Amino acid sequence: MSRELQNLSKETPRIDALERVTGQAHYAEDIYLPGMLFARVLRSPLPHARIRGIDSSAAEALPGVRAVLHSKNCDVIWSSGDRHGRRRLFADPARFVGEAVAAVAAVDRHTAEEALGLIRVDYEELPHVLTIEDALREGAPQVFPEGNIEEEVLRFETGNIDEGFRQADSIYEGEFVSQYLNNAQMERRVSLAQWDGDRLTVWASTQGIYNCQKDIAHDLKLPLGKVHVICHYMGGGFGNKNQGYDFDLTAALLARKTRRPVRVEFTRHEDFIAVHGRWSTQQHYRIGYKKDGSITAIHLKAYSNMGAYLRSHGNLQGPENYSSPNIRSEIYRVYTNRSCSANFRSPPAPQGVFAIDSAMDEIAERLQMDPVEFRLKNAIQDFSADKKPLTSNGLRDCIRRGAEAIGWAEKRRQYSGQSGSIRRGIGMGIGTWSGGLGPSSAEIKLLPDGSVKLMVGVTDIGTGAKTTMALIAAEALGLPLESISVVWGDTDQTPYSPGESGSRTTGDTGLAVIEAAKKIREQLLTQAAAHLKVRREDLALRDGKIVSSANPGQSWSIAEVTATNIDAISAAVTTQQPDDGSKSGKTRLSFTAHFAEVEVNLETGKVKVLRFVAAHDSGTIVNKLTARSQVQGAVTQGLGMALREELIWDGHSAVPVNNYYHGAKPMTHPETPQIEVIFVETEEPYGPFGAKKLGEAGMVPTVAAVANAIYQATGIRFRELPITPDKILIAMNPSRDRKEAVALPPG
Amino acid sequence: MKAFANKNATSIREAVSLLAQHPGKALPIAAGSDLLGEMKDGIETPEVLVNLKTIPGLDKIRQQSGAVSIGPLVPVAEVAESQLLHTHFPAFVEAAAVIASPQIRNVGTVGGNLCQRPRCWYYRGPFRCLRKGGEFCYAPMGENRYHAILGGGPSFIVHPSDLAPALIALDAKARISGSSGDRTIPLEQFFVLPTVNVQRENILRPDEILTEILIPLPAPGTRSTYWKQMERDAWDFALVSVAAAIRQRDGKVEQARIVMGGVAPIPWRSHEAEAALIGRPLDATTAAQAGDKAMEPAQPLRDNAYKVALSRAIIRGALLRLI
Amino acid sequence: MKKEKQSRKKPAKGVTRRGFLTGMGTAVVSSAVLGPVLTSTQAETLPPTRPKGLEDISLTVNGITYSLAVEPRWTLAEVLRDHLGLTGTKIGCNAGECGACTVILEGKAVYSCSQLAVWLDGKKITTVEGLASSGDLDPLQRAFIEHDAAQCGYCTSGQLMSAKALLSRNLHPSREDVQRALTGNLCRCSNYNGIVEAVLAASK
Ligand SMILES: Cc1cc2nc3c(=O)[nH]c(=O)nc-3n(C[C@@H](O)[C@@H](O)[C@H](O)COP(=O)(O)OP(=O)(O)OC[C@H]3O[C@@H](n4cnc5c(N)ncnc54)[C@H](O)[C@@H]3O)c2cc1C
Ligand code: FES
Ligand code: FES
Repeated sequence: MSRELQNLSKETPRIDALERVTGQAHYAEDIYLPGMLFARVLRSPLPHARIRGIDSSAAEALPGVRAVLHSKNCDVIWSSGDRHGRRRLFADPARFVGEAVAAVAAVDRHTAEEALGLIRVDYEELPHVLTIEDALREGAPQVFPEGNIEEEVLRFETGNIDEGFRQADSIYEGEFVSQYLNNAQMERRVSLAQWDGDRLTVWASTQGIYNCQKDIAHDLKLPLGKVHVICHYMGGGFGNKNQGYDFDLTAALLARKTRRPVRVEFTRHEDFIAVHGRWSTQQHYRIGYKKDGSITAIHLKAYSNMGAYLRSHGNLQGPENYSSPNIRSEIYRVYTNRSCSANFRSPPAPQGVFAIDSAMDEIAERLQMDPVEFRLKNAIQDFSADKKPLTSNGLRDCIRRGAEAIGWAEKRRQYSGQSGSIRRGIGMGIGTWSGGLGPSSAEIKLLPDGSVKLMVGVTDIGTGAKTTMALIAAEALGLPLESISVVWGDTDQTPYSPGESGSRTTGDTGLAVIEAAKKIREQLLTQAAAHLKVRREDLALRDGKIVSSANPGQSWSIAEVTATNIDAISAAVTTQQPDDGSKSGKTRLSFTAHFAEVEVNLETGKVKVLRFVAAHDSGTIVNKLTARSQVQGAVTQGLGMALREELIWDGHSAVPVNNYYHGAKPMTHPETPQIEVIFVETEEPYGPFGAKKLGEAGMVPTVAAVANAIYQATGIRFRELPITPDKILIAMNPSRDRKEAVALPPG
Repeated sequence: MKAFANKNATSIREAVSLLAQHPGKALPIAAGSDLLGEMKDGIETPEVLVNLKTIPGLDKIRQQSGAVSIGPLVPVAEVAESQLLHTHFPAFVEAAAVIASPQIRNVGTVGGNLCQRPRCWYYRGPFRCLRKGGEFCYAPMGENRYHAILGGGPSFIVHPSDLAPALIALDAKARISGSSGDRTIPLEQFFVLPTVNVQRENILRPDEILTEILIPLPAPGTRSTYWKQMERDAWDFALVSVAAAIRQRDGKVEQARIVMGGVAPIPWRSHEAEAALIGRPLDATTAAQAGDKAMEPAQPLRDNAYKVALSRAIIRGALLRLI
Repeated sequence: MKKEKQSRKKPAKGVTRRGFLTGMGTAVVSSAVLGPVLTSTQAETLPPTRPKGLEDISLTVNGITYSLAVEPRWTLAEVLRDHLGLTGTKIGCNAGECGACTVILEGKAVYSCSQLAVWLDGKKITTVEGLASSGDLDPLQRAFIEHDAAQCGYCTSGQLMSAKALLSRNLHPSREDVQRALTGNLCRCSNYNGIVEAVLAASK
């Protein structure tokens, strides 16, 4: 690294860590307003049903109940619930088990819950589809009249795919399956709404206060200025809290109706099914390759199960991670009568990379090439798949340094040809992470006493964004971190921010902070020059002091200059479209290579992850401490995805059966290995101080690395996620124990 | 949660008479780690909870002549940490140590553990299954990866308790108190198959509670162990577990009790496995044979055939620990 | 010990109409979705509600004794958060499956979501707010800050309380001891590495 940085690229504890460890951080569910009512939502028990009628009279008569809303007395479109605007706040027809049908506000949560049981809904059951296969079958029941496949197919094409396969010496084909899993963030959904006349305030648990504000205003047909969204702390989301949600609207409408503040609460069961999880997929790969190990063509045909509405794109990462001159990918989004699929940390990546990196390992094996060598040869290099030059690329360094750290060559040799029931293996995967830079804003005020107020519209979802923004401001201003206090998470007090998703905060809002800081610096030094009667060019800001370059050793405190002010020196900046290289036709990507070492007990099907190395090129690392924990957390989530997590639906009723933590089985303390994180800090010309995206990249190739390690250990290629003990045991004991089920058919 | 009244019982007599006074409407509760969950999910909706924690004396571990007495309110954590129990009954202590999480072990009781309700996701979910008075069991035609491979039908739940297999392997007895008096039975006979009662896992009548567990001191030469195989390495119910207690003399197995968890609607004693061992030396061959024999009657459903292979492996593994 | 008696009444839910009434009367909303704003005279007068079947208990939380009346179905977590204003204790699952609600009850880590408050008459409870009640941070809290053990922070109170219970029994736990003792505390940010490092550092 050539630049000299005072505050960045170090290990800095979060500026709000104290609040987080003392119980003083106030999350949405911690806000209690006088007179607040509690609301609960009634959900469809059927996967597809028209609602003939709703009788809420008994619920309304229950003492303590203040209001009941449902499709017969409230018709509001929840626009971010479906990209085609087909979703109503209270469904009719209901299209999945768990879709909201009614809501009750009452004086306490137990009364609200009891009232739900008193609402009589007359359902007319409709036929349903649950899986991709079901949905594609001839004559399948239709989720929407337009059909079960989303009209727009996601296509990408480069080169000439047929020509690519003609040039190939061999062609690989493989089919991969991944399942739906829930984000399962610790904080359950909650929303608190209060009206002051015609002005609505919502305490939301959101990754993006401005997205939330925009969506609520749109759906309730209110001017933006009348909607005030606050989120100071939120308990994780990993992509599922970035919009205005139906429960925000429900809280607002119930508050309106009851003229009281209303908090909508979710149970954990509801949280698992009513919002969204990662899309499950079926991916078919055809890959052409030559004897020398080069790839000539990659064809991906895939289906993403989007559930009952289109809430996100359903895309898959994969072909673009390899330099193949000819690529075709076609991804069909399929509708089914089950919970929606949408964003979960690096939404298109871990399931996509599981498929392509399993396939690449299989090809390497056929060619008798080492997987590391194979990737060093074929991984994306100077150009992106659409043939644009990359702004920087540290992927090969990630691969080399990761391989070295885990002891690749030696272990790979050591683990080939094992016998016995306990086997070990190592495996790897590679990934990229993009996402352009968007517009963003920041405002800085230098107060008369020399302290700084930094206003950014971010919410700190656990990524340490607030700290990152403060660090960038400190760096750009030349002031110590302690002098900066951040105002955040409130649409009335902070300027626009795009929301914390797509790992955008550092890149987008960070640039706006730098711009604002430059203006502050300029104003301050100009004022100082006038005040001190020295030349502007002779002044600089360093270590919290104004220093003279003409007279080394001479310095003034900031307050000396600003104390005569009655108001702050302030600067507000909105960066329209910060240059991420795209203005010069370039593409900016982060890169990663993951390495897993596992032990598999062939008799119990148990997989233990012994070691894990995650090497990342995210350019300059703004805060190594929080960056490392981001990667460790992302990898650990990936381990859960590889080994266990999936939401299971009963095949007949389409009712989810493991929608609770003990059924979903996220990772726990004793199973989590120490995750070694390597940062390859490449020189990146674009982005704040050369920082690239990180938060989501940490999960991209984790699943693939584990799957490939399990293959080395067992010699069995698992093409379906998650790789659970039952699958390993069945693979190890084919046919022996399968007998006819002693079935008593239902009904 | 539906509203209810909490009655703090101050004696066994009071507890059972409270239960008798509200037939069908009262339930006993110990630490509540299981029952409160059922109440929150609306699976159970008692009008009266009879709190057993307020009965003095039921939370003691006492050494008696020839046996150790365990009060039903002894917390699982206390079992896991007891030196006395560890000396005589390793299988019991090992089972206690792998139950749930420290927080649950700190409060959850031995009696509650033995009387806990199934974890079947149909029973716990919004299904009116056989166990809840409904028409059929959803498991055979449904999602049955965690269901029974032995003793199933008409309901295919698996018994979730870790302590039960261990205690049965150790030949424990249970004292039951009710409004019409006390009785002491082998714990093995406490549990009943769905063919006997499809709505309950044990023989307790609504006005009865478990008031003592008695474990006989093992004869010299007895060794015992508990092996629990989980999908998640910690804080999970057993996919399959096995408790084994073996007494050897002169290089031969004289007595064997092998009881499995996670495979059947009750803690499943495998007489087949025991027979494969009696009179023979305990070694890798006989241990494997015991596993094979135990699985001969197994009848897996669509998604749980893996439990057969897993059971074989862990029966063998557990027995090898006892050589 | 400081004694603080609370009124036996349930905190006055449903008696104030602040919020709604502020600014009322002049407001005009054009929204078709929402319907007209009611004027204050139309506003419903809300009678205070008192649940039936309250039971009197006294709890000592972080050294302060509270007398309160609780419904039998209220959990300790609910009482701490809704009625005593101690919102540092979080509820992640309300089912004994996540650990966010962990508090120390009579020296032992327990899930406050799975304890009925009526059972705890006369008991002593420590919550995360009690860790630094002397004004100084607990060494665990300091270590959590230094090792970035809190990402979103929602599991943090629970992790701290389990760690506190561990360190009060075992001053120098091994890595495995820490992992075992904290098994019952999920972290979905999956920051397990950082949490374990922090607990080990605090025990040095
Ligand atoms: C997340 C989670 C994980 C778990 N993991 C495991 C595990 O791995 N292994 C395991 O074995 N268990 C597990 N459990 C079950 C756990 O609840 C029990 O282990 C605990 O010991 C139950 O004791 P309790 O005192 O809390 O029971 P309670 O909830 O009080 O009672 C359970 C049942 O027994 C009845 N009952 C209680 N005491 C008596 C008595 N003396 N006489 C008659 N009936 C009585 C009650 O009416 C109720 O139906 C888990 C529970 C949870 C919530
Ligand atoms: S909230 Fe109590 S354990 Fe999850
Ligand atoms: S820090 Fe977010 S759940 Fe643990």
